[in-house]
Amino acid sequence: MLHIGFKIMKTIISAHNLVIEFPIFENSHRSLKKAVINISTGGRIGNLVNRHPFVTALEDINFTLEEGSRVGILGHNGSGKTTLLRVLSGIYAPVKGKLVVRGKVASLLDLSMGLDPDATGFENIYLRGILDGLRPSRIRSKIDEIADFTDLGEYLNLPVRTYSSGMMLRLAFAISTSVEADILIMDEWLSVGDQAFSAKASQRLEELVGRSSILVIASHDQHLISRICNRKIQLEHGRITSDEYVRFDHA
Amino acid sequence: MPRSDILNGILSFRVWGTLGWHDIKQRYRRSVLGPLWFTLSTAIMACVLGALYSTILNQPVSQYLPFLAAGLVVWQFISASVLEGCTVFIVSGALIKQINLPLTIHVCRVVWRNFIILLHSIPIVVLSLLIFGVLPNHGFFLLPIGLFLLLINAVWVSVALGILCSRYRDVLPIVSNLLQIAFFLTPVMWSPEILKDRSWIAEFNPLYHLIQIVRAPILSEIIPLKSWFWAIGMVVFGFIFSQYLMNRFRNRVAYWL
Repeated sequence: MLHIGFKIMKTIISAHNLVIEFPIFENSHRSLKKAVINISTGGRIGNLVNRHPFVTALEDINFTLEEGSRVGILGHNGSGKTTLLRVLSGIYAPVKGKLVVRGKVASLLDLSMGLDPDATGFENIYLRGILDGLRPSRIRSKIDEIADFTDLGEYLNLPVRTYSSGMMLRLAFAISTSVEADILIMDEWLSVGDQAFSAKASQRLEELVGRSSILVIASHDQHLISRICNRKIQLEHGRITSDEYVRFDHA
Repeated sequence: MPRSDILNGILSFRVWGTLGWHDIKQRYRRSVLGPLWFTLSTAIMACVLGALYSTILNQPVSQYLPFLAAGLVVWQFISASVLEGCTVFIVSGALIKQINLPLTIHVCRVVWRNFIILLHSIPIVVLSLLIFGVLPNHGFFLLPIGLFLLLINAVWVSVALGILCSRYRDVLPIVSNLLQIAFFLTPVMWSPEILKDRSWIAEFNPLYHLIQIVRAPILSEIIPLKSWFWAIGMVVFGFIFSQYLMNRFRNRVAYWL
């Protein structure tokens, strides 16, 4: 295929027959004894001995998400939602099948990612910026905004270990939502803090969602999904059982 | 992945530089001496072993102590790089499972951190040189090149060991055992001349050559041509090997953690 022109590449995610399997390593499968038995028996059983058992987390996943997609992933615990989000974030590579992700991805999977309890709040903001690939000058320009948002004031000069869990969440939330990305990947809608902060946080999150051109969010909350998403994908036992477009219920 | 993970990782110097530097800062934070504890323990070890072994090996302490101090400092870097290389991906597991970065960034972070610790021990070496009046000559200027070769060798070794140890958790105890034996087998506490007709024990020991390319310039000796060949050859073949492991297993590492 030949693309000629000056158009900026479109943000897109497309999965084709995607399969994710997790190997399970057990000592019994690696023991010398089995290897020796393997030599003496050979053939069919040998194959079984050598092959590790695995859990199929995702199977035969197909979809294409284009700009403007707001996708809600629904499913029970263990249906593969989080695994799918991690695959889209580039953490697990497809075992079989193909995945194309074009655009800068930001994932809000685990808020406390990389938070160092022994480092101060400010240092944590800086470290996270570095991990996100930002230049120090860019981070410095963002630090004030993030610090303001947390309302933590002087506490930001103290080690995070001294924070209450609510304070820690505020910091983690402010850092995580300061990203800029084309594709936003979220595990559950984030809600943090007391009422006043929660309202502020919700607004910030919606702004972030508004700026991204593709959103993929996993949630158990049907109402949330129908409120913010225009497409619903239902997962069960690692397979897509339904994939439908929905209209916004403008609330 | 269009480009090599190893190359991408090394080029992300801002990320590993910051993380490694942060590690060092953290070590200072809650202890008075921080990484200077390494310096202190190296100093004590050099003094005690220096006094003892110069007698056992019948060598003048004025020559033996600087030799031992320089060797120990380099050995500690090698040993830390190998052992921490084994666990590099396991320790960074939480990060690897949260954010998609070149794996080699985690390796460079560890190597860089250990290099900063190595620099902490330099005063011991300088002190022992000053006390015994070993003056630097032009050979000293090869030290940066020697250090550079040592560092990039540490990078590929850690990449390879990191991948292998994430998959086979039995590799770490094997490696740490071998490392202990290697310490006695490698001319750190003794010089290879002592071996006389059995000097091949040193000559075919890659660790000896890695130490030599750093130790020789410090002691203002000429780096043997053989050691150059070994050190550069290891870089070439080591990176080919690690790249091969990366090509095959880079995408599997996250599954193994």
